[in-house]
Formats: sequence, structure tokens, C-alpha cells
Amino acid sequence: MTAPVEISLVVNGETREIRVPPRKLLSDVLREDLHLTGTHVGCEHGICGACTVLIDGEPARSCLTFAVQMEGHEVTTIESVATGDAFGPLQQALHEEHGLQCGFCTAGIVMTFEAYLRENPDPDEAEVREVLSGNICRCTGYQSIVAAILKAARVIREGPSA
Amino acid sequence: MTAKNDFRYIGQPLPRREDRRFLIGKGRYLDDIAMPGALHACFVRSPHGHARILSVDCAAARAMPGVAGVFVGEDLACWTTSLRLAPPIEGLHPVEMTTLPIDKVRFHGDPVAVVLAEDRYVAEDAAERVEVEYEPIDSVVDTDSALRPDAPKVDEALSGNLVSHQFFSAGDIAARSAEAERIVEARFDLHRHTHSPMETRGCLADWDAGREHLTMHIGTQAPHPLRGQLAGRLRMRETQVTVISPDIGGAFGQKIALYREELAVAALSRHLARPVRWREDRMENLTSASHARETHCVTRASVRADGRILGLELELTEDFGAYCFYPANYMARVIAMILTGPYRINDYAFDVKVVLTNKCGNGPMRAPMAITSWVMDGTIDAVASDLGLEPLEVRRVNALRAEDLPFAMPTGEVLEDVTPLETLEAAAAAIDVPAFRQRQEEARQAGRLLGLGFCTVIESTTYGSQFYKAAGIPGSGHEAAWVRIEPSGVVNASVGLMGSGQGYETPLAQAVAEGLGVPTESVIVHMGHTDIAPYGMGSRGGRGATAGGGTLYLCAQKARDKALAIAAGMLNVNDAQGLRIHDGRIEQYLDAEWQHSGLTLSDVARRAYLDPTALPEGITPGLDVSLTYDPPPMTYSNATHACEVEIDPATGRLSIARYIVAEDCGTVLNPVVVKGQQQGAVAMGLSGALMEEVVYDSAGQNISATFADYLIASACEVPQIEILPMHTPNRRTPVGIKGMAEGGIMGSIGVIANAVNDALIPIGVRVEQLPLTPQRIRALLRAAECTDFRRTISETRMKTHDG
Ligand code: FES
Ligand code: FES
Repeated sequence: MTAPVEISLVVNGETREIRVPPRKLLSDVLREDLHLTGTHVGCEHGICGACTVLIDGEPARSCLTFAVQMEGHEVTTIESVATGDAFGPLQQALHEEHGLQCGFCTAGIVMTFEAYLRENPDPDEAEVREVLSGNICRCTGYQSIVAAILKAARVIREGPSA
Repeated sequence: MTAKNDFRYIGQPLPRREDRRFLIGKGRYLDDIAMPGALHACFVRSPHGHARILSVDCAAARAMPGVAGVFVGEDLACWTTSLRLAPPIEGLHPVEMTTLPIDKVRFHGDPVAVVLAEDRYVAEDAAERVEVEYEPIDSVVDTDSALRPDAPKVDEALSGNLVSHQFFSAGDIAARSAEAERIVEARFDLHRHTHSPMETRGCLADWDAGREHLTMHIGTQAPHPLRGQLAGRLRMRETQVTVISPDIGGAFGQKIALYREELAVAALSRHLARPVRWREDRMENLTSASHARETHCVTRASVRADGRILGLELELTEDFGAYCFYPANYMARVIAMILTGPYRINDYAFDVKVVLTNKCGNGPMRAPMAITSWVMDGTIDAVASDLGLEPLEVRRVNALRAEDLPFAMPTGEVLEDVTPLETLEAAAAAIDVPAFRQRQEEARQAGRLLGLGFCTVIESTTYGSQFYKAAGIPGSGHEAAWVRIEPSGVVNASVGLMGSGQGYETPLAQAVAEGLGVPTESVIVHMGHTDIAPYGMGSRGGRGATAGGGTLYLCAQKARDKALAIAAGMLNVNDAQGLRIHDGRIEQYLDAEWQHSGLTLSDVARRAYLDPTALPEGITPGLDVSLTYDPPPMTYSNATHACEVEIDPATGRLSIARYIVAEDCGTVLNPVVVKGQQQGAVAMGLSGALMEEVVYDSAGQNISATFADYLIASACEVPQIEILPMHTPNRRTPVGIKGMAEGGIMGSIGVIANAVNDALIPIGVRVEQLPLTPQRIRALLRAAECTDFRRTISETRMKTHDG
């Protein structure tokens, strides 16, 4: 075991200086040291996607990342997606389409598609399913999640009245 | 299609209350609870399938910085009692297990020791330093070898590995087979699954040494029964234990029993007078939490030439794994009891064996009776295929019709208010079977394999106390609730269920709103805290709506009656006849219409709490009522699944072209939540039928210990599911609820296997074993002597290309 090291990173827009053991996972640091428990851990081996956060805007598995690798990087988590009391379009659509049940997979899905829809504003169903296949949901059967993502894409493109 | 009803709040498609906190990352799951100073537990687990424990050397682990202690089975045996299961059921052997194994381990992943340390990383490091000396014993990894007379015994206290054996016969099977045109035999082999909720198991035990009180934070489907187990096995009183369930990231039956790890954590919190927490990793969850299914069935149907089943025999063998957290016949029995389900069969016999092996112990997983509908409807398809009949016609010939109801199944289970023939016809009409058969024939000519399957489900959702009594299982099917109209007129309510993601908070509030006559928004239903909720039986099966919703509804009516009696006094009328509560207002029936009386429920509540001397004679202060309700012995819902598939003969790849569910689950509290359950259940069933499989090698090593090996269907494998709601009320339950949420598993397993077999008819092979992986289907195609068919395919392809 090596001694903890000081790192500086930006989390949800705020600069954070923390001391972490080099072997500590980003998922654990977010949850335990920064008290951001919205990021969930479902497998710790990179398959389920529950722990997905954005690193410099790109989706990444926080369970496969050591926190020390984040020195100088920017991490975005589920806690930053809503603005005050208002859901973002993806959250709103997931609520309206019943795209979640136990909610354990939800943060990972929201973070994956926050990034995806920014670059792919008009995906079709097959594309959405393909991207979603990196996130396991044990509850919903995916149909309502797919519907929600397509709806959110429409809202982002055309505004809420669409 | 769904019958109209007069409900005001029940049946509204309201969005779920849980969503907000989950969507913004503010859900509170077990591992989100901060507890300063808590120790972290990590279990040392057996690398062997079966071995004697010769010694455990904890010295090196104990010496590591940050380690607070290492404990083994003998330690735990000082502080806890063993679990003894000995219900008086004929043919079921009593079994007993200690909190952690002492002499031997029985499966790969069995916990042998537990390390407590200041963080999880250190605890895991230390667990690796615990030296256990084992003497391996041969593992038994299948039921055939487990039943051999010389097989190693999994539980040495038993005379063999057959832990439970029951048989039954009704009518005259021998006479029916003598009359039969033919005896059709079919086999069904449903492999081993595991629940895999996205949130693994875990708990946080907090012993208060001053009050001598244990608070156990744990995601549990059944808080009160768990509290009773904890108190009993820690030799404490139930008053000394509080169980609090936070949000649960899925359970599917895995979070009911008190597991050994959880009991160990609680005992150690008390022993050290410190909070102790544990969260298992995914490998532990896949190998050591709880497994399910692995049921082999053989049916023999005595049939007439038109496909009518005269008599049916079932032989069932379940591989139960190494330990019994439930009576070993718990799941298998229900399969045998309800097998004949939607069909008019009177002569029936079963022989049910449950066998111990060196695998993780079985438990109920969403649809404990999952295989039932595949076995029954698969038998129908085997009959149709042997006799060269249209499978749909064989279903019709045997179907229970409305005029047959109520119908006593040969096992004595009574069906009434079910509509299996109606759902079958609706699904068949939606498919348009003649048109499909034509497409199928044309496709066959072109060398393509299309298949159509049906599967009708009779889902036993809600077990009343009389069912438990008749089955000889200790326990009850009743449920309990309280409803409090607070002085301000808002409503707190509680029930002994605990949801694990289904979304109970809105539909159960709707049930209270309906019973009371207040807007759903003014009701909050509290669940999952044993000091707040009344003692209830928890969430299992499909009892949430019937038992939970039903009890809350009846309790709310009781509160309404009291509120109206007070209102009558305030309005100076003799009694509450001609009064009602509507959207929180007290209304009076005057001049042939309901009119606002000027009073609201909050006026009544203020009088009840703050001015009790003004209450009518005989009315006690406050508006706080409780009630228990015991549902009928069994409540059933029903559905028919229909599915069109195509198999690629070259690769064995299966694609689902269409998937339909016609379902009757009675009065629906909230259609949003019900639809979610329907889709989710079908997806879980298909995932199990097509991909998931727990695999042990011949030495008892679990080789499916990660999500890269235990494959769960992703968005690319689950099809769109079309739902035809055909709900009709049950006349015996409050507001006509029937319950649901497990039938989708039963139907999807059966329908996909039936569709594949329909596609394979020209090849002359039949799938008898799941999962239906491309490799398995391809192997069947290869094994079949289908050179002719392949020639046909290639000739047709050539022709198509030439043309
Ligand atoms: S927890 Fe990171 S992918 Fe599963
Ligand atoms: S909502 Fe439970 S895992 Fe997706």
C-alpha cells in the first residue's frame, strides 16, 4: 500500500482538493470522500454501466478509474444534471415514460445519454438501443427507457412543446 | 377491453413519487447511508465445492493495521443460534445450519470467516491473509449423481441428498392412459438462474449498547419477518430489534431470507458494540447470495386423437443447492399444485423430488413457479406436434371456459374469476394465426425457419393464510395497515410491505385515497421501518396490490367511517347515511344530488383531535385506525403470451419479430406501474430463457461469477412488448384486485421455447433445455439429421440467386 496522494480535480464545476490512496476507485472517492452517492456501483468490473460518470465530458466507468488519474480532469455526476428544482430533458422524459423502477441503473443511463444526445441529437431506436446496451437494467425491460431517450432527443431538438 | 369502473383515484395513470429522488441522484440505498466509525466486513469464502475445514489461521490477518477482528463459525455459534427448518410436511426432512460453517464447506463461495476492518479495502486485503486448510471432498453437481446411493452427502445429518419427496394422485391415471389414443411424453429442463438485482446485498448493523437495541439497516422485502428472525437467532426480544429498509436497488426474491452474512454482521456489531457494515461485491452476489430454478420436469399426457388431454403425470426434480433457507419443497410444490392451470384436466398425478447438491442454495426468484407454464403449454405443443394438429386448436380443445368456473383443479386449488380462454383468443386474434401459418409455409419454402408460440399463464399472486395452513408451512398471508388522518387533514398511512423498485408509493396512496375519498397527493404511505409499519408479511409473490393495496383500502374505509360519524355530529344529522367524503370535502346527498356540506376533512380532523368533548357519543378522540386483512386462500390472475420468432439455420441465432401479452390482472391501482411490471417481467424471463445461466464445472467450481459470464439481456436483446389489457375484477378481493408481476416470467419462458419448437418442426428436433443460446440451437440443428433440409435451403438459395 502506498501513501495517500493529494489531487486536485473539478467535480460538477467545483475544484476539489482531496487526499486519496492511489488504489482507491473514482466511484468510491465520489461516494465516500465527496458524498456524491448518486453514482452507483453495480459490478465493479466494468460491465453494468451503473457507475458511469462524465470525465471531461465523455462517459466513463468510474469503477474502472482510479481517483488519482483524475488530477487536472473534470468529472460530472448525476447530481449536476438537474438545474435547481427543474429536471433536465432526459430526466423529465424518464419520469414521464416510466423509464425507471428501482433507480439503481438510472444515474449511469442519464450520464451516458447526456453525452450521447449532445453529439447525436437525432438517433433512431436501433442506435439508442445499441448505446444503451452498455447499461444493464434489471427492472424495466428497456422499452420505456428507449421511449424516454427518443422523447428527450425530440425535446432537446425542438423544444418542450414537441 | 378492460371493464369500466367507478373509481375516482384507483386506476389513474399517475407518475411515480420515487422518480424524483432517483433521477437527481438522491435516492438512499443501503450503501449511501453514512455511519461514522462503522467497521467494514469482508467474508472469506470457500474456493472448493465441497471440503472439510481442517483449520483456520487468522493470525496474519488480525495483525494487519486497521483490522478490528477476524471471526469464524465457532465464534458466531456462541452468539447466535442455528437455523432449524422442520415444518411438519410429509416427505420433507428437517435441516439445520449454523451461522457460519464450522466443520465443512458445501459450495464454492460458502463463507468460512469474516474480517472486520476500518475500510473495505483493508478488510479485503486481510481476508486474503486468512489461511484456511481444507480437505476437499468430491462435489455433487447434478441431481442424478446426487441421488446415487454412494454419492457424497451434502448435509451429513441427512440419510441422503433427497431432502424432500412428495407425490400425489387424483382421478385414475391408469384408466385414462388405457383409454388414450396415445401417450405423449415431453421433457423440460430449466437451468440455474440467479436474481442479480443491480444493487447487491448488504446491511449496516448498529448496536446501541446503552439501550441494548439493534438497528439493522438492510434492503429487505419483508422487514417484520426479518426482525423476528434476527431477534430469535441473536437470542433477543423482538422489542430489541428495529429493521429499517432504505431504497432497494432491486430484489426479485433475493432479499427476503435472513442470510448468514447479515446475521454475522448483526452479531458482531453487538459483540464489539460498534456499527458494522457489509456490502457484497458482484462476484459474491453471483456465486453466494441465492440461486433459483434448475428444475427438470417430465410430463406424460394421455390424449385423444383430437388432442384432448385425459390424464397428466408430472415428474419434477429440483436441484436445490447446498443449504435450505426455505423449506426445500417451497417452490417445487407450487409448480406441481397449479400445473394444470388454464386447462380442464381432472386426472393428474405428480412426483416431486428436491435434491441437495454442492451449489449455492436455492430461493424464490421472481416467479418461484417460473417453469410451470412452459411445462403445461409445452406439453400441449408436444401433443399437437405428435398428432399433427394446430397447437392453437389443442389449446381450445382443452381450455377452461367461462362456464366451467369456478373450477377445482385436481389438486383442490380453485380457479374463479379468471379468463384464460379470453386472453388466448385475444392474443391469437392479434397475431392472426392463419396468416402467420401461410407466411411460415412460404418462408419454409425459402429455407427460413419461422415459429409461433403461445403460452397461457395462471399466476398465483396472493397466498392467504388458509393456503399456508393447507400446505403445512408456518406463516400467514394476512397483511396489516394503519391510516391516520392528521389534525391538518393530511393522511399518513402504513402497511407491512416493502417495495424494491416496483414503485409502491403512488399506487398504494391511490388505494388509500379511494377508500377515504381524498386526493392522492394528500396521502403518504410509509413502509420499511418495523417501528413505524404494522407487523405485515412483506413483499413476495404478486401480493403487493391485493394484500397491501387491499388492506390499505379497507383500512382507509374504516377511517372514513369514523370521520363521517364525526361529520354527522358536526352537521347535526342522525348518522352518516347520506354523507360522503369527496376530494377531501364532506358532501351530503340532498335533493337527489351530492352537495358540499361546507365541511372539509380537516375540519373533521381538528374536531377529532383538538375538541374531543364535542364528539358524538361513543366516538373516541383522534382519527387513527388500523386493520388487518387476510386475502382468500389464493388469488389468480391470467395472461396469454404470443411470440413470433425466426431462427437463422446457419448460426442458430434467434430473433423475436413480435411479442404480445394479453393480460387480466383484475382492477389495476395504477396502469403506469402495472405496465412497467409487465414489461420488466417479460424482459427478465426472456433474459433467463435466452442468455443467463449459472454454470458449475464437474468439480463444483462456479464459472459464471462475473457479468461477463452470467449474461443479462441488454436493450439489444429485449424486444418491444405489445400489451393487451383485458382486466376483469375479482369478486372476492377488495375493489377486485388480482395482483401480478410474476406471470410475465412464466409466460415468456414458455412462449419463447414454444415458438422455437414451432420453428424447428421441419427439422424434426425439439428444444427440451434452456437457455436457448445460439450454440444450443445450432447444436440441435447439427445433431438433427437434416441434410435434406440443408440441401433444400441451399437449393432454394441458389434458385433465388439465379432468379
Ligand atoms: S459498477 Fe462500473 S460498470 Fe458496473
Ligand atoms: S430501474 Fe432497476 S436496474 Fe434499472
